[in-house]
Formats: sequence, C-alpha cells, structure tokens
Amino acid sequence: MNKNTTTEQSSCLVNRRDFIKLSGSAVALLANGTLTSDVFAARQSRRPKPKNILLIFTDQQHIDTIAAGGCRHLQTPALDRLKNNGVSFTQSYSANPVCSPARSCVFTGRTSSETAVYVNGRPIRSDIPNLGQWFSQQTNYETFYAGKWHLPRTYTSDIPGFKVINTGIGGFGYLCDTAMSRACEGFLRNRSKSKPFLLVASFMQPHDICEWLRLNMENPQEIRYPQLAGKFPELPDNFVFDENEPGAIRKRRLGNEPFKGKWNKEQWRYYRWSYYRNIEHLDAEIGRILQALEDGRYAKDTLIVLTSDHGEGLAHHQMVRKNTLYDEAAKVPLLFSWPGHILENRTDTTHLASGLDIMPTLCDFASIKSPKNTRGRSLRSILEGTSVSINNFIVTEVSSNTGRMLRTPSFKYITYKDDSVEQLFDMRTDPGETKNLAASSRYALVLSEHRKMLRDWESRLDVPPNVPNADVWRQKT
Amino acid sequence: MTIPQIKCNRVVVVQILYIQENAMAKKSKRTIVGSPLTPTLLEELDALSNYPPSSEDFKPDGNWVNTYRIWTCHGYRESGNDNVGFLRIKRLINPQSSLTLKVHQEVLQTDALVNIVDATIECRNNQLASPIQWKISSRFRGSDGKYISELNSNDNGAAAEGLDRSTGDWCLFEAVQRLKTGKETVLAFDMLEGLSLLKKGQHLSYRGLYPTKIGGENILLHCFVQLGSGILPCEYWLDDYHRLLVVASMNKAYILDEQAEKITHRIAENEQKSYEKRRSSQRKQKR
Repeated sequence: MNKNTTTEQSSCLVNRRDFIKLSGSAVALLANGTLTSDVFAARQSRRPKPKNILLIFTDQQHIDTIAAGGCRHLQTPALDRLKNNGVSFTQSYSANPVCSPARSCVFTGRTSSETAVYVNGRPIRSDIPNLGQWFSQQTNYETFYAGKWHLPRTYTSDIPGFKVINTGIGGFGYLCDTAMSRACEGFLRNRSKSKPFLLVASFMQPHDICEWLRLNMENPQEIRYPQLAGKFPELPDNFVFDENEPGAIRKRRLGNEPFKGKWNKEQWRYYRWSYYRNIEHLDAEIGRILQALEDGRYAKDTLIVLTSDHGEGLAHHQMVRKNTLYDEAAKVPLLFSWPGHILENRTDTTHLASGLDIMPTLCDFASIKSPKNTRGRSLRSILEGTSVSINNFIVTEVSSNTGRMLRTPSFKYITYKDDSVEQLFDMRTDPGETKNLAASSRYALVLSEHRKMLRDWESRLDVPPNVPNADVWRQKT
Repeated sequence: MTIPQIKCNRVVVVQILYIQENAMAKKSKRTIVGSPLTPTLLEELDALSNYPPSSEDFKPDGNWVNTYRIWTCHGYRESGNDNVGFLRIKRLINPQSSLTLKVHQEVLQTDALVNIVDATIECRNNQLASPIQWKISSRFRGSDGKYISELNSNDNGAAAEGLDRSTGDWCLFEAVQRLKTGKETVLAFDMLEGLSLLKKGQHLSYRGLYPTKIGGENILLHCFVQLGSGILPCEYWLDDYHRLLVVASMNKAYILDEQAEKITHRIAENEQKSYEKRRSSQRKQKR
C-alpha cells in the first residue's frame, strides 16, 4: 500500500454510523433509523409543522435544468423561484432511475427491490404503506393526488391513500400536464383554507422527450428548421464514452434511437435543444400551480418539495433517457421551499440525498414517525441548517434488479450482476465519470471497501422472494 | 385469443404471465415512426383519411367554425396513437374593428375524466389576432358524468394598452389563415398559451409549399412553423383556400374534422362504460 492509497482511503472510507448529529448532540436511533419514541416526541413538539405540503413530482428531469442553478440553455422562472426560496441539493439521486421503481421508492422510503417494483408497471408490495396511506392514518392532512402514478397504472383514479383529483392522458405531457395543473389550480382556488392538505402534483413532462426521440430518430442530414442553426446547445464534455463499460450499458446505448438513426452531432444538439423546450413547458405548468398557491394565500403555510423520478441522458456518454447509473440519469433535482422555516437561497453541494429520503423527511415535517424499515433519512436538519451530515453513502438500484450504484462523498461504485466489469469513479476529480478506476491497483482498497458497504447494505434489506436476483446481491462481491 | 379462466391463485399467476408475455410480444413488433408528424405521415398512421370538403366560399376573415380532432402519437406506427379530444373555434366579425373567437375544447383523460375549457376572446383585427380581453373557464367532468365543482377555475383578462405584438395559441389558429404565404412572412411575438401561460420570444414563419397525398388525391399544402421558448416546433398546414387543416407539434396533432365532436363523445361514452365495468369487477374481487 503506498502513501497515495492511504490518502484515498482516509477521505472516502466511512462506516454508516448509527448516530446523527442533532443540534450539536448525538441522539440514539432505532435500528430502522428512526428516533427513540421519547426523544422523538420531545423533539417534534418543539418544531413547527407546515399547514400544507405540496409535492411536485416531475418525470425524467435532468438535474441541471434550472436557469437559477446555472443552466444557460433555458428559462425557468417557476423553478428559479422555488430554488431561490429554499434549499436545492446538487448531490441528489434517484433510488432507481426508472419510472415505476423510482416512484415506489419516493412514495414508501423503501428500496425498489423491497417494494417489488423492480421494473415498470408493478404495484407496490401490499404490506408497505405509501405516503398517502401513511399520512391518512397518522396525520390530519387530507391527501390528494393529481397526475402520473405508474404503480402499476400510469394514470388511475384509484390510488390507495389518496383522493385522486386528476388522472392524465396516455403518456403525453404537453396535453396532460396542462389539464393536471388546471385541476390543481381549481383545487387550490376552491378549497376551504382551514383543512390541511398533502397534494401530489405529478407531471409527465419532460418525459415527452421519449416520443421526440421516436419521432426524430431518422437523421435528416440537414436541420428541419434552418433558422435554429447556431441556437442549439453545445454537446456535453463527457459526450465520448469508455468502450470498456459493463455490457448492460453498452447494450442500452446501441438500442437507442441515436445509434439506430446514425445521428450526427447536429442531431444530438437538436435533441438537447428540444429537451430544454420540454422543461420550459413543465416550468410554465409548475408556475400555474405556484401562482394558484399564492393567490389562495397558501404560500407561507406550505412546504413545497420538488423532485423527479429519474434524470435524462441528454447526450452525456452518448446516452438518452434513463436506466443507467451515470449521473445524468441517476441524479435528480431535489428542492425544498418553506419560507421563514427552512434555509433560503441555499445550494447544498455536499450532502448526499436519495429519493428514499423524501418519505422520512415529509414524516419528520408532519411530526410523525416514518413507517417501519424506511431506508432513507430525514433531511430536515440539513434544511434547517442544524446538521452537518446525514447520509454517508446512498445506494441506487437499476435494470430489473441487475445493477447497483453506491455513492460516497468522494467515489461512485457501479456493478452489474454477471458482469466482471465494475466501475469506480472519483467524483471529486472526474464528475463526468470518464475514467474508470476500478482496474487500478491504486484504488483496490477503495473498491473493496465500497463492495463491503454495498454488501452490508444489501444484508439489511427485506426483499421478497419473488424479486429476481435478490440472493445475488446478498452474496455478491 | 383465449386467456385461461381464473380459478385459483396459480391460474391467476399463469394468466398474468400470459398477459405480460403477450404485451412483450406486441411491444417487440412495434415500429418506430422515425420522423416528425406531417399530413402525409398522419395519413400513413391512419390518423386521417380526408379533410372536410373544401369550399371556395371559405373566407379566413369572415365568420366560420373550425373543429379539430386532437390526436396523439407515441412514436410507434402500430400502437399508442389515439384521439383524445377536440377543439372548436368559432370566429365572429364584430361591428367594431375587432373579432371574437369562441373556443371550446374537451380533452379526455383516463378513467372517464374530461377537462372542458371554454373561452371567449375579443381580438384585434391585426396580423396576430392579438387578444384585447377574454374570459376563460376550466371544468372537469367526472366518471359519473357530473361536474366536479371543486376543480373549476374561471379567469377574466385584458391586455395592456398597445400590446399588439402578442397573441394566444388559439388566436394563431385564426391568424395563420390570414397570413400571406411567402418567405417574407416572419412574425415575432409573445404568446399567452391557454390564455394563462406566457411564452416569450415566439417566431412564426412560412416554410413552403409541400406536395401531399391524402385520400388518394395529390394536393399542395402550405406550411408555417412556430418556434420559441416553452414549445416544441409547431407546424400549421393550410390548403389553397387558406383553411387550416392540420396543426402538428411533436407528439400531437389538431386535425380539421367535422366529426371530431361526435368521435370524442363516442370515445368518452366507451371509456365511461369500460371504467364502470372495471370498477364493478374490482368491487367483486374485493368482496
């Protein structure tokens, strides 16, 4: 072991501690990560509770799609407003970058292998309560849902624990999100203000990029609208990709429209331009709901959370859509806003956050305990500026329970079932994930520690037997 | 195709696997469309067979009613492409130098929910049909056919003085029919989408004249394109009478169709019946 290796270890090797800091003092946690009941009750009684909660859920939103966050390719006044009014995380990850699995994690705080939603179109395991069911049982919030659900049906008027105020249309964001935001607008304008609510506004956009890809797969060789020449965003720095990737990633890339259609760089840039227009559409619809919230004088009393199920390839690593563990697909926006109660205009670049953290965070704000065995952690102390650390690592699952990502503050480790190619990236020096360090002897110990953390994490999960590959992950590495 | 009867849990599993396999097989047979929606492509995809008979009497600057079927495309040739509603625009000439547009749109949603939008817009008689003042209401009709009053929203609005470089998306359906067809036509404006969402920096320009084959007939259609923030490129296709036949933007198209309202209501009725059937079978299963 040389000196450099030791340095690498000391900055990344962390054990998931059973203690977190709260207001300067360590407080004991139960095995499932929740506080002991007496400590919990004492703490909650002193903390303010938002009268209402609005969870804005977007579909397939790349993390770098907010003008106020530095994205130069679009205008997003509504997202800017949310970002400036609260806390936004730059190290926020989907717990599984595929629609249904990711949603099952956000709405339960359990991993997708545990919820048994390891692929699209499966229902959440019946013994795990969702956010609506839990809040209906434990709080006086009335729970409402509008828009995309996808657990298993994409749209439905029958969601356990929620009163559904709006469904949707096929898979079409442009038409469906407009109707959905109009329904939310009506709901906020007509509602009696005395009753607290939890409203989920679940948008389809910018998922329309999936249809765009199918309707623009063939490379026309020349731009359909010459007046757009020179207006397309440049390609990302990590447009090139490593040939020696795990097979699952290579296979996915080759099956995507840009490779089938033999795109040139201009077509890639046109795709990026189109994606940003979908984000602008989404932003306008979010703006309608925020405006209704203000018109209804709810704004000061409402905790707003915005996140997405997964990101978008957006030409990084020459990928489109989701279902990979690179940051472009795995990272998601995560914004919290509650003026006067949590930090404002704060970009959190250090804390790792996961879709699994949303359920425990909302429970914490609602002054209730999280359901049993919730895997995420409440981010409330970070949002209030009283904590220095919550998650020492986060884990993301993918591809029908065949892939895993473990992210520590410094490194990202990726492994797939039945694939000898592992990936290890130093996220401090290589945020674009272009240099795989897994085969480097210098990082052997880092690699083995990450494998161990993953194994330990897997051993604690309660995965039902009908989920494929459950044993593989307990035994792997 | 016969699906095994449900008799016990094991059969249920077999049935689910059977359905999943069939769904997978159907998915694997799908063909990607590959190129943007145009009138020719819409015919190929069975979204239209012909347009309402053209008439030399049609005057873009007169009184008229155009009804469009709203059709959506998932990007596959074989599946996922549906009629989801209709948009009716009625143009009325006012005694003053303005015009009125009466808009009625119904969009169908899953589980027999319908969003109904009505608007009355007084517009300037300028190139963009810039809105002067308007009223708009959004209502939802539930699966039981009753309106859900808790979701209603109503708005009145008026444009500030001198705001004549702005328009609305529905106003463009009217305005584009009065524009000159030629490369010199380029308009810059801000757009109030659905009379509520401001989309700045829009441009509408003439793309050209394109040969199109519809219902076995070769016709030439004019095309304008709108580009700007918050929208995907939107193409307006017109015939020689300046009648707007198709508006296509990415995965959706508005297709001139006199039967659009009937078609929508028939789909809505069917959806309501199948929703009731689904609910009743769910209730039986729960029992």
